[in-house]
Amino acid sequence: MDRKPLIQRKTGISYKTEEKTVLRGYNVCELADAGYTFIDGLYILFQGRIPAENERAMLDYEVAEFLEHSMSPSAAAAIGVINGHPMLPAAVGASIATFGGAHGPGAQHGYMMKKYLDRAVLEHKTVEEVAVECVDEYMDSGRAVMGMGQPQHLDGDPRAEPTHLKQEEIGVVGVYLKFQRALEKRFYARRFAEGRSYVAVNMVGAGNTALSDMGFSPNAAWTIGCVTRGYSCSCHALYTLKKGRAWGASRNEPMVQMLDLSMIKYIGPDDREVPPQSEREAYALNELKTGEFKKWVI
Amino acid sequence: MGDLTNVAVNRMTGKVCDERIATMKHSKRKPIGNLANPNLLFDYTNREVGTLPDDNRAHFKWVSEVAYKNIHRIVTRGYDTTELVEAGYGVCDVLFIDFQARIPLVEERKVLDYCLLVGLEDGLSNPALIARLVARGKSYLTQAAGASVFAFGEAYGAFKNFGYMLEKYYNKIAEEGLSMADAAALCAKECYAEDHFGINENYVKDPTPKHLLAYAEKTLAGKKELKYVPFLKEVVKAAQAQIGYVEADVMAAITAALMDCEFTPDAVWCMLGVTRAFSAGAHVCEEIERECERDGFDAYGSTLTPKEWYDGPADKPVPPITERGNFKGGQAQTPDEWKALWNKKAKELSGSGFAIDFVLDDARKVVHGKKK
Repeated sequence: MDRKPLIQRKTGISYKTEEKTVLRGYNVCELADAGYTFIDGLYILFQGRIPAENERAMLDYEVAEFLEHSMSPSAAAAIGVINGHPMLPAAVGASIATFGGAHGPGAQHGYMMKKYLDRAVLEHKTVEEVAVECVDEYMDSGRAVMGMGQPQHLDGDPRAEPTHLKQEEIGVVGVYLKFQRALEKRFYARRFAEGRSYVAVNMVGAGNTALSDMGFSPNAAWTIGCVTRGYSCSCHALYTLKKGRAWGASRNEPMVQMLDLSMIKYIGPDDREVPPQSEREAYALNELKTGEFKKWVI
Repeated sequence: MGDLTNVAVNRMTGKVCDERIATMKHSKRKPIGNLANPNLLFDYTNREVGTLPDDNRAHFKWVSEVAYKNIHRIVTRGYDTTELVEAGYGVCDVLFIDFQARIPLVEERKVLDYCLLVGLEDGLSNPALIARLVARGKSYLTQAAGASVFAFGEAYGAFKNFGYMLEKYYNKIAEEGLSMADAAALCAKECYAEDHFGINENYVKDPTPKHLLAYAEKTLAGKKELKYVPFLKEVVKAAQAQIGYVEADVMAAITAALMDCEFTPDAVWCMLGVTRAFSAGAHVCEEIERECERDGFDAYGSTLTPKEWYDGPADKPVPPITERGNFKGGQAQTPDEWKALWNKKAKELSGSGFAIDFVLDDARKVVHGKKK
């Protein structure tokens, strides 16, 4: 059997011979035999180092707490996709791909912290000073401060503050948590002073801060968060596959299903007659001329 | 509001966020770990149990201005789809209806048809390769073909970014009083280094884009005034003057032609990504038919990686786990220490993500007139 790779690339991540698979210099089998864990493997993969015990514990805590989030866009995507009964990976892949600018925007939060920490270095400011500048600049310009607010957990994501506390408890505190704490302090104070509703830290603000202090880059942190959620989304998809009905539209279920015809509300153009081909050109020209269609163009 | 005796109150605001929780059961539990910490935002030992009761809002509806269906009909933008096809309308017509809510001129339909045909296949480029790689695991064909769409980004198949670039500089003619030639020259000057510029050396020997633009001009002539096709040709001229012998690529030509058929750049991106997935399906079939039989499917993708391709850390012994206590953590305590650590990892450890830069918008720039 030919086992040559389809695409040839240099890589600094791993190599694999008939004898062993080596990740960042460590024989993976030897790592496992020595008692190291999957969590250790994530550190080796993205950082090329074995973590300290408190770091391993912190990542284990975070991955475990982040894994399941019930009905989020990612779970809805997994459920929606599996309703067509493709192979499970299609639903799982879709759920992971759901993470973007609104749902778990981990990398952007990381780059926001980097941007202001860079400013602290360049302009000889304290972490607290640049955190205040960050909040003021985002709020003054009408932008959402990344890492704050979650539409379902109105009193604050129940995982968020405990994640901060866990970081402090087990001693994985670095410059990122100092920044995030200062950011939250300023954010709460400004919203209170402006008479605006309470908006708490979310799991990007807390979890991504912790991952950053654990030494992960913004994109590595994003990968860990999104792919972790893929586990629970696969579970939602599997449940729907095994215990639900295909299509999500059955009228025999006790509850109205997500794709029941009665769930559709149409607000587009009124029903209209299809013009015969003989009248098509004049009809089409008139549509172009009136421009009525433009309000529907997306 | 009901009895709030047991309701967990937000410690920051002193308020209950949702009246419905007053009717819910509460559970006083023994604190675990940090969950009795008074600095937490609310009382974790006394949180509500169960799912939130219904409120008085209308139940969820799928709201759409694109289409609806009932038991007997499927309607897109007001037209019954069965009636459309029975009346002789085809797939390109329905694409116009779906994305633009209108029946196209016959000539516009022809231009779209041309573009979809030209955009269908691209050899062993990324969409086909991704589909082939996924197929090697013996997945469903749909997974492999679907994965091919993920290849379209801000460089490969950058229909969206290119389209909005073209629109931005074309609009300068009306907004800033520039001539078309000046707007085109500005576009070439400011954007030629962008990944989505769409004018390059790739198509100097392939006449397809030129043919496509000529077809659009000829077909739509006399029917409507073209904006983007002539503008693209001006940008090509300007780019040739500025950076040498380059031509518009197929992506640029398709986008300009379809924008002159009133499609948005986003719509072009969607349509071409899906169109290419058809050919990805063919690549998947060929991969299964030909490569699987020939070489046993490369162990279904579980290939070996020769050590000579590896340039990461040298092989080293795994330390006994009892020595973990000696390992130093990775936390930086000052901005300078943090910066040094970031730069070291960016330089020394490929695949860690630290060498990837990402430029955020300037947060001081006001968005949509939202300045406070």
